[in-house]
This record gives sequence, structure tokens and C-alpha cells, in this order.
Amino acid sequence: MRTVPVLLASVVAFAAMEGAVFHTGLYPWILNVDASTGDLEAILRNERERPKIGPQILGIGDSRMLLMPRISNQHTPETGYTFGTIAIAGTTPRAWYYMLRDADPTARLYRAIVIAVESYDDADTWSNNNDNESDLRYDIAHLRWSDLWEFSGSYDDPALQWKAARGIVFKGLVYKRDFADLLLHPVDRFRLAKLAHRDSFAWQYGYTGPPDTLADFHVDWQARTITAPPDADQRLVEGLKFRLLFRLPPETGDQSRYLKYWLDKIYQRYRESPTRLIFLRLPRGGFVRPDQPRYNPHSSVRELAAQPNVTLIGEHFFDSLEKPELFRDELHLNGPGMVSFSLMITQEASRILGPPR
Amino acid sequence: MLFNTPQFFLFLAVTIALFYVSPKPLRRWILLIASYFFYMSWNWRFAPLLLSLTAIDYGAAIWMERVTSPRGRKVFLTLSLAANLGFLGFFKYYNFLAGMLAEALGRDAHAFALAIVLPLGISFHTFQSISYVVDVYRGEQKAIRNPIDYALFIAFFPQLVAGPIVRAREFFADYYQWAPPVSEERLRGVLWILLGLAKKMVLADQFAQIADSYFQNLAVHPGSPAAWSGVGAFAMQIFFDFSGYTDMAIGMALLLGFHFPTNFRRPYLAFSITDFWHRWHISLSRWLRDYLYIPLGGNRHGSLMTYRNLMLTMLLGGLWHGASWNFVIWGGYHGALLGLERVFGRKKFQNPPHWLLYPFRALITFALVCVGWVFFRAATLHDSVYVIRQMLSWHGKAGLIPVWLACLLALSLVISLFEERTEWIERLAHGPAWAYVAAVVMLLFSVELLGVTEKAVPFVYFQF
Repeated sequence: MRTVPVLLASVVAFAAMEGAVFHTGLYPWILNVDASTGDLEAILRNERERPKIGPQILGIGDSRMLLMPRISNQHTPETGYTFGTIAIAGTTPRAWYYMLRDADPTARLYRAIVIAVESYDDADTWSNNNDNESDLRYDIAHLRWSDLWEFSGSYDDPALQWKAARGIVFKGLVYKRDFADLLLHPVDRFRLAKLAHRDSFAWQYGYTGPPDTLADFHVDWQARTITAPPDADQRLVEGLKFRLLFRLPPETGDQSRYLKYWLDKIYQRYRESPTRLIFLRLPRGGFVRPDQPRYNPHSSVRELAAQPNVTLIGEHFFDSLEKPELFRDELHLNGPGMVSFSLMITQEASRILGPPR
Repeated sequence: MLFNTPQFFLFLAVTIALFYVSPKPLRRWILLIASYFFYMSWNWRFAPLLLSLTAIDYGAAIWMERVTSPRGRKVFLTLSLAANLGFLGFFKYYNFLAGMLAEALGRDAHAFALAIVLPLGISFHTFQSISYVVDVYRGEQKAIRNPIDYALFIAFFPQLVAGPIVRAREFFADYYQWAPPVSEERLRGVLWILLGLAKKMVLADQFAQIADSYFQNLAVHPGSPAAWSGVGAFAMQIFFDFSGYTDMAIGMALLLGFHFPTNFRRPYLAFSITDFWHRWHISLSRWLRDYLYIPLGGNRHGSLMTYRNLMLTMLLGGLWHGASWNFVIWGGYHGALLGLERVFGRKKFQNPPHWLLYPFRALITFALVCVGWVFFRAATLHDSVYVIRQMLSWHGKAGLIPVWLACLLALSLVISLFEERTEWIERLAHGPAWAYVAAVVMLLFSVELLGVTEKAVPFVYFQF
């Protein structure tokens, strides 16, 4: 045997098999829908397979983008628009860019994309989103070789850059945790995958949200205390304390840099298309802390708003939802809150777009 | 620079490329510079130590050849041994002895302690140096005249940090009659590297997580199944870790045209402790036999002296692993088991039993080896006793090894049994190309999907 041809054949065989399993839809088919990567796959698959009759509006954002298309679409006869959503917990604009690329390959499928952001001021967060490792796990099925440089280079931490680069080449490295879980429960996994392929649309679109509220909670801004009902979940109380009473993150400009890059990338994708980008600022919570982040006239969304096919829904448009009885925790709307939120988006997006042509 | 890191593979690729594109006279320099670069990438401050030891042993061997009187030869041998054992003793055992002295004087155990960092691979290169000077002293090896050649023998990077402990005559046989590896050897080299990498990252590092979680939280995992699975996990970790490292070292050496001796021959298939030591860390067992057991008298002076020599050899072998009573007990435990096997009939434990009995004997041997590993792994003697008590408690329910890892282990057992009979891994490079390709693809997939790649876990034997 000659060394070079045999070693070359080994490398080619490995690359071919790796490519066939992980760089196609083969492995994503059986991903665990109870984990982030599988959940995202199910949501994107639902969106790809959703029948799209008439003009479409797509919502995107993190777990707080609680648009209920079921509610919005009850009004389709009046608005003329059908709503869908690919919002998923824990995602940020970097993940959204690749999700949109997959959901809307021609960038002409939707009349509008409604993008939910936390702040119009690019307020910094406690973690640097540039180094959000979970984006790699979320997007792995949609990353291509051509994304190698840009995606991995978008991390600040060299260790994460390296991890992302090798993950894009050898996707199995990123699917590893999922694969270990598959080995542990192979039969259950196949059963769940089958079930998810059949029912995940109903799971996603039938979600009604919990009825829990924060109505029995009180915040004393002077004393900096939160009064909770005696049976309140301690984690919820801690979450509220952190969100409302802990100091604001320092202004580093990291978030602005991050958002400017990735929101602009999303904008560039739709620049030449008939799709309008509509940004909304999420309702801030059942209680709104008095010390809000500083107004930033040059924030990513405010600068994008100057572009012809970008619209910002009024910053205080959802203020009426910022009531304890409409929130189930420090961040998320409850069932009734979700309904109101969905109706408000439906009406405002339809108003911005005007009647379908 | 760990063997299981991309940096090391880059270093290896560059070294191999430079080695083969360089003119022949430069190649020894390439390997020596690469080896010192590898050594200094850990801690450059110890390079003078390695150089000094190399210079002392190089000089001592030449003077031993020059001096004709036996006494003069002995002086140079003693000087060399004193330097080697002195450095080893200081770096490895000073704090251990200082602690004992302090306790004997009623002082705090750390009263005389020094902040000593153990130089990389000192136990291995010291033993290699000792074997060389002793062989020269015995007239079994000619003193090496070229200092570069000798320095390379000591610092050769594939085996510098954790062996195998190569003898001078083996190394220089390859070195002075160097021939480029033939195609089968190159393919075998690559296969050994991948096999070693898979053993380390897929099996050793996975089992390490279980063993660490058990030994670091003993109270959290009471009961016999937890203890046996925790200890069993460590048994697997240390085997796959060390043999994985050795496989990689053998593979790298092969790619550079050197042939390292086998260091592991499926030790957990051993049917007795005697057999186990013929299969486990063979290069160390061989060293201990040739440079300790036989010089002590071996089995030439009656039964009692044989048992004494056996016990002394194993005690020192234990102590070689680390400065702690646990290692001494581990060595003594194996010495006692070897002695017992001699008492009950040497042949019975040297020749394989009937195939029907083999699995039982292998299982008993494995269990006995596992008991020994408790002393090797536990942090203190108190912990060791606790774990052994738990192992013998026969209560508790849950083991710690997940089903998929147990299945993987079962698969590796089948592969080992097959390998024991056919040595198919060695033959793979001579067989059809598709079989080789399939094996490489399987190994790469296993590393990608099952290997611990989040962080490079250091090799267990690097600490020795």
C-alpha cells in the first residue's frame, strides 16, 4: 500500500461521511427538541413547512418576543396579513441573521420582519453578546463553510473563535452533547423526533402561556425592597431582585458594537428586497425600574431607522403592557399579556404596512 | 504542549516536514531543537537541568570507558547515579522526606517544605540516563561520542515526558542505521497516533470525569456499586490514558524512523498479577527487573531473598510513581501479590489457564488490580481505606458509569480480545486499503463525537 493515497482516501472518506451526516439535514432530523439546537431546528422547520397564503409577516426575537400567530391570524380577514414566528429563547441578533437566512433564502418571502429588541439605546448587558457561545449551538445546522471566517471571527475571545471555527468544519464537535444524549436514550430519541416532526407546529403555535402574574408583588423603590407573597418561588424573587434592584451593567459599548454589526447584516440582506424591517422595543416588565439606561441617539436601531425600509415602532408603544398582572416573571408576559402583545403587534404592523397590495 | 492539542499536532507536522526536507547531517539537529522546544514549551527554566544531567551522564560514560581500573569506573558510575538520583530525589521526594522529618520533630508538616515544581518527565529521562550509564559500566553499551546524539537520546520528544523508557542500544540501533520508514510503517505510525488519541480523548477522559467525581466527593457516593464503578473508572482512565499516550509516542517515533518497544499488551486481560506485570508499563517493569531486581540478587539467593528483592523492587517502583505513602502501599500491595503467586506456584501464574477458567482468573486479577488502584488514586490513606471499605460493603444501588460508556467499554473489550488473538491493529497497515481507511474513519469519528474536546485533559503520567 502506498502511504499518500491511503491517507488521502481516509481523509476523503471521513470528510464525505462527516459531510453526509452533519452538513446535511440527516442529523438535524433527530436532534433533541428539548434542547436549544433541536428546538431551533423544529421552529425553523415549522416555518419552512407552514403554508404561506397571502402576504406574510414574520416575528423574530428571544423568549420575550411572545407573538402568538394564532391570535394575530384571527384578524387576517381584516388586516390581510398572516403572521408566523421564529422567536426562540436565548437567541440574539447573530443567531437571528442565520435563522433568517434559512427561513427566507431569497429575502423576499415576507412583507415584513418584526424584530423585537430589548432596548432602543443599545443598553449594555451583563454578558458580552459577542462571546455568547450558545449562538454556535443554535446556528450550527445553518452555518456553512463560507461562514467560517465571519462567524468565528465575530467572537472576541480567541478560544471561542477557535471553537467556532473547528465547529463549523467538524459539526459533530458541536453536536457532541446531543449525540451523547442520543446514545443514552436512542429509542426515546427516535420516538421524540418522530413526534416533533408531526406535532411541533401544534406545540409552538398552540402555546397559550401561563396564567401566573406578579399582581401580588410590590416594589418599594425608595427602600429598594420587593415584597413577595409567602408562597412565591424563591428563584422568581431572586430574578426580580436582580432585574429591578441590582445596579445596571456598566456602559462598555460592547452591546452597541454587537448590535450595529449584526442588525446591519440583517438590514443588508433585506436592503434591496420588498421586505420591511419593523423593530419593536419589548415591554420592559411588570415593574419598570426608575433608572433606565441613558438615551443613545446613535444606537443601532435608531441609525437603521434612517433607512427607507426600516421602521421603529414607538419606543413606548407597549408601555401599557408593563403591569404586574400581565407578567409571569421578571421578563416574560403571561398568557393574557401575550394575547394583548400579539394584538398590538398585529394592529401596528398592519398599520405600518398598510393594506396588502 | 499536550499530545492531545492542535498546537502539538502543528508542532509534530512541522517537525516531521523539516526532518524530511533537511539534508541528513542536519536531521539530528532538527530533532534535538524540536525536542528542546517541546520541553521548554512547558517550562523553559528546567532546560539547564536537562542539559546538565545530559552533560554529566555523557561525560561519565566516556570517562568510564577511558578509565581502565574497576574502581575508577565505579567512581564515575557513582557520580552519575548520585547526580541523577540527587536531582530526582530533590525534586520529587524532598517535600515528602521533609514532611516526615518535621512530623518526627513534632513540627508542622510543612515546616521545612519548599515550593518545588516537578520538572517535566524527570522520572522517565532519569531512568533512561541511569540505564545508559549502567549499561556502559557493564560493558553492554559503548559510550556515545557525539554529544548531540546523546542529548537527542535523552530528550527525544515522543518519549521524553512519559516514556516508554527506551534503552540506549535500542535507540541507537535505529539512530545509527537510520532508514526512512517504509509505507507500512508510516501507515502504522498514523494509525497508532489516532488510536492513542482516541484512547485518550474518547475513553480515558470520559472515565476521568467519573473517577474524579467519585474520588473528589467520596461521601456523596456511598455504597459498593458506586465504589467499584468509581475505582473501575479510574482503572480504565489510567490504562487508556497511559497506553493512549504510549501509542501516540510509538506512532510518532515510527513516522520519524524509530521503533519504540511495546509498553502495554492489554493488561486487563491478564490472568494473574505476574501476567499483569508482563503486560503493564512493560518498559518500566523491564527497567526495574534489569537495574534493580537482578542487581539486588533476583532469585539467585534462595526463596527468602527472592521475596525480599521482589518486595523491595515493587516498593521502589511504587515510590517512583510519586512521593506518598499511598504509592509505597500500592507498590507493596503488588509486591505482596506477586510474592503470594510465587508461594502458590510460579508456573500456575505464568502460564495461561484453561480457556474455561480464563475469564474468571482475568476477572479476579482485574478486581485485585482495582483494589491496588485505590491507593494510587485516593488523596490520602484515610480515603483509600474508606473506598476499600465501601467496595466490600455490599450495599448501595447505583453505579456511576453510564450505559453508553459501558457499551463503549464492552466494544473495546471485544476489540482487545480480538487483538489478543490476531494482533490485527499491527496487521491493518499490511491489509487491504479499505480496512485501513475504515479504521481511520471510525477513529476520527469517535474522537469527534465522543472525545472530550472542551479542554485538553493532561495525561495522568505526566505528573510522574
